[in-house]
Amino acid sequence: MPQSQDPLYAGLGQAVRIGTELLAALIVGGGLGWVTDTYLLETGPWGMVIGLMIGAAAGVRNAYRMAQRWPK
Amino acid sequence: MEESPLHPFELHNFIPINLGGLDISINKAVIMMWVVVGLISILMIIAGSARRLVPGKLQSLAEMLVDFIRGMILDTMGKDGMKFFPLIATLFLFILFCNWLGLIPGTYTVTSQIIVTGVFAGTVYLLSLVLGFALHGLKFLGILVPPGTPGWMLPLMVPIEIISQLARPVSLAVRLFANMTAGHTILAVLFGMVISLPFYVSWLPFAATLFVNALEMCLIAPIQAYIFTILTCVYLGDAVTLHGHSEHAH
Repeated sequence: MPQSQDPLYAGLGQAVRIGTELLAALIVGGGLGWVTDTYLLETGPWGMVIGLMIGAAAGVRNAYRMAQRWPK
Repeated sequence: MEESPLHPFELHNFIPINLGGLDISINKAVIMMWVVVGLISILMIIAGSARRLVPGKLQSLAEMLVDFIRGMILDTMGKDGMKFFPLIATLFLFILFCNWLGLIPGTYTVTSQIIVTGVFAGTVYLLSLVLGFALHGLKFLGILVPPGTPGWMLPLMVPIEIISQLARPVSLAVRLFANMTAGHTILAVLFGMVISLPFYVSWLPFAATLFVNALEMCLIAPIQAYIFTILTCVYLGDAVTLHGHSEHAH
């Protein structure tokens, strides 16, 4: 078991995180939009469209925030 | 002989138990969890009982694990984070051993069920919320406003921040579940090839099976356990220090 400060190990951990970070925000944004469309407001496709866009932005924001934490 | 590659993820009840409409039957996953908990407990109790100054094999293994977890907490949360050591250590060891034991043929990978990883991630996230509101009250909502945001950007930034917060438990749960499921599906596909191909080529997928299994055991299983716990540390640390951006703490 390597040290948690080991740059290779910590770097690998960071690298495999970034993809799911983007995906999860899209799931949440699109999901919230879809729920608004179908059950709450019946606003056609617009809830999901806006939700997906905000989700994409949130995913990029999360990835950016993660990259700021990158071990130097 | 055709078999679905998703066959290893199916669960069958050994002992059906129904408690007032609640299905708490004993199946393979439940037994695997008991085995994991038992194994970790026995390992740690035996390793901790000797307490020699010059540690034996088992004791130095346990010391290495504890040291690794402590390093993780000190890196992300600082000294205050040691309050959470029991929680973090339990999560890390449980996920690590679930990932490892699931790679033994014939066993079951508990972490390949999204309900298991989802409950872990949800519990961690709920704890960070409760902690944040208990320590800071309504000021905790300030994490939704990144520092230095101009006022006219707020209607755009707050929804983005809300979704990026809600994405945390989802990404935590999906990452572990997806990695474990994908790894075992690859193994099942390769093993299906071994069975269905004629013998003079079947050694090829068999060698690949061994390779993928070694890769999972040495790299994917520990790294996924590591990521899950280090993110737990980061989220709890964010709630304690009231920064959506504790990256400046380094």
